[in-house]
Amino acid sequence: MLWYKAWLETRTRFLVSLGFLVIILTFFVHHAESILPREPKASTYELMFFAHSYLAGLWMLCVILLGMGGLLRERAAGVSSFTLALPVSRARLAAVRITVGVMQSIALAIVPWAAILFVSAIAGRPFFVSQASFYVLLLVTGGMVYFALAILVSSIVDGEYTAPAVAYGAAILVGIICGSVSKLRPFLDLWRFITGDNHYNKTTHLLSGPIPWFGIFACLCVAALMFLASVRVIQRREF
Amino acid sequence: MFFKLNPATGQPLYLQLMQQIRHAAETGALRDGDQLPGIRTLAEELVVSPNTIAKAYSELEHEGLLELRQGSGAFLCVKRRTRSLADHVHGARRRIRELIERLRDDGLLDEEIRRAFEAELLHPTEIVRKP
Amino acid sequence: MTNAPAIETHGLVKSYGRVEAVRALNLCVEPNCITAFLGCNGAGKSTTIKMLLGMIAPSAGEGTVLGKRIGDPNESREARGKISYVAENKPLYGYMSVEQTIRFAGSFYRDWRDETAKELLYRYGLPLERKVRLLSKGMRTKLALLLAFARRPELLILDEPSEGLDPVGIEELLQTLVGQCAEGTTVFFSSHQIAEVERIADRVCILDKGRLMVDASLDHLRESYRRIDLVFPTTPCEPDFRMNGIESVRGAGCQLSVFASGNVEAVIERAHDLRATSIEVAPVGLRDIFLETVKEN
Repeated sequence: MLWYKAWLETRTRFLVSLGFLVIILTFFVHHAESILPREPKASTYELMFFAHSYLAGLWMLCVILLGMGGLLRERAAGVSSFTLALPVSRARLAAVRITVGVMQSIALAIVPWAAILFVSAIAGRPFFVSQASFYVLLLVTGGMVYFALAILVSSIVDGEYTAPAVAYGAAILVGIICGSVSKLRPFLDLWRFITGDNHYNKTTHLLSGPIPWFGIFACLCVAALMFLASVRVIQRREF
Repeated sequence: MFFKLNPATGQPLYLQLMQQIRHAAETGALRDGDQLPGIRTLAEELVVSPNTIAKAYSELEHEGLLELRQGSGAFLCVKRRTRSLADHVHGARRRIRELIERLRDDGLLDEEIRRAFEAELLHPTEIVRKP
Repeated sequence: MTNAPAIETHGLVKSYGRVEAVRALNLCVEPNCITAFLGCNGAGKSTTIKMLLGMIAPSAGEGTVLGKRIGDPNESREARGKISYVAENKPLYGYMSVEQTIRFAGSFYRDWRDETAKELLYRYGLPLERKVRLLSKGMRTKLALLLAFARRPELLILDEPSEGLDPVGIEELLQTLVGQCAEGTTVFFSSHQIAEVERIADRVCILDKGRLMVDASLDHLRESYRRIDLVFPTTPCEPDFRMNGIESVRGAGCQLSVFASGNVEAVIERAHDLRATSIEVAPVGLRDIFLETVKEN
């Protein structure tokens, strides 16, 4: 029942984030679509690009929050000896927490986009599901780096408020590094990757080009390495 | 069954239990063939370790006072020897009563008398008092 | 039923920087016995227990619990499947309800007994739907104990189990421990309530400043430890009584109080030789044994 426990622990944060993202994005899109002219369709497509940028930023804030918790937080609350007395390995405890978080992060990308598509369709401005899927794919794979960062920070840093502060700080640092690096090598900019800027066609205002499998693979590798590192850190910790 | 074990007397609890079971057999509170409570039952009732009960029962079985039947429990076997022992105990108590009365007449308090008896039983040596 | 020790350690050490929380601990907890673990706060009891359960890694030394090495995470995990542990602060997840907690805990153990859980739930009067963070301290303690007792583990480790319980609860707790032992569980518990320990423990381990000072059966302690009060015609010489088995000697004028863990006959003989006018031998309770042991250290 470790999955159930991980769900209970993150349920409130997840549902609040989900509600928050869905409401903000649908409100934004709905309001914008009521102002924008129906033609050319490109204006709607451009709106979607911006909507996704907002979603990406807010999504990042939410998944970093989701990544908090774990054994260190339990130790601060005085319940780590209950968890550690269970006949399960620390690796399994961490793996379950990570997996639940990953699934929640994916849901936090898919559901708001589904809501955006729905709102647009009702307004008579249907958007391509393939495009939406592309955006979701970029967000989930590139953004997983941030979730993994949060998981790693929560395995190292103690403190109910210190850990999220450090996690957000680290995320900002990543953003700054990416920003400075992007001048030399634009494809290394994580933010451009996530928002779809690398694939954004300024004429059609749609994402084009082949799916960046290498970029996806690289991001997922970085995330996986951070997940592994966090498991190792927890295995060596003393409680 | 009213047994009372006292952890503070310096005597192992299993010995106290053995004494109390023997005493019950002597006074007739327990008769030949009576069944004693199971180890777990008695342990929970007296709130003592089941090993204490088990050891007491086992020692009494060695002495022949108890018969432990696999699956059924512990049964008392009061032999004729124990019955005459009861008479001995009866006589001893009479003599102790007389002794205590004499000690009280000498001016000793009950508490002092008890401590003297306990000390002698625990460690049979001379207790020298100032003349 | 195996006769191998339930817990065995060899030279177990835990140091934090220069402070040695546990030193060269050679513990041996017999199976099917109730063993009490006594010690002042900070003596190293909780640290030892955490090492046994794999929560803390020893600085040196080794140990086994139920035959599994504590230093190996996989073996430690196997052992934990047969161990019931209740930590001192009775930890529970505040966000789970009583029912969720019971279902959660029960799902991990093969030795979980549903009927016992239901019975204890009823007996303790715990509200199924209430969240743990809304329970009173006494109810939280009872729930934590329920999770341990609704099982038939090979080893039960309890850290200050009676804390937070009223006298009726304490009596029930002791009866439950006795019942668990009768069913074959080894009970290893630490407690400050010496009176409780004296009633139910078979063996006693006294830890002080990280070192094991006493490891004996309670019966043996009862039979061996004595306080001998002596009165002499003149002020006696204390060193005369410092022999093997004598834990402490205290003098006040013509009186001498000897605390002995053995060799009582030699003390009495010496007292006779020195013409003592009064020799009284009295039994010593566990509290006094404990206090003398930690004082002398």
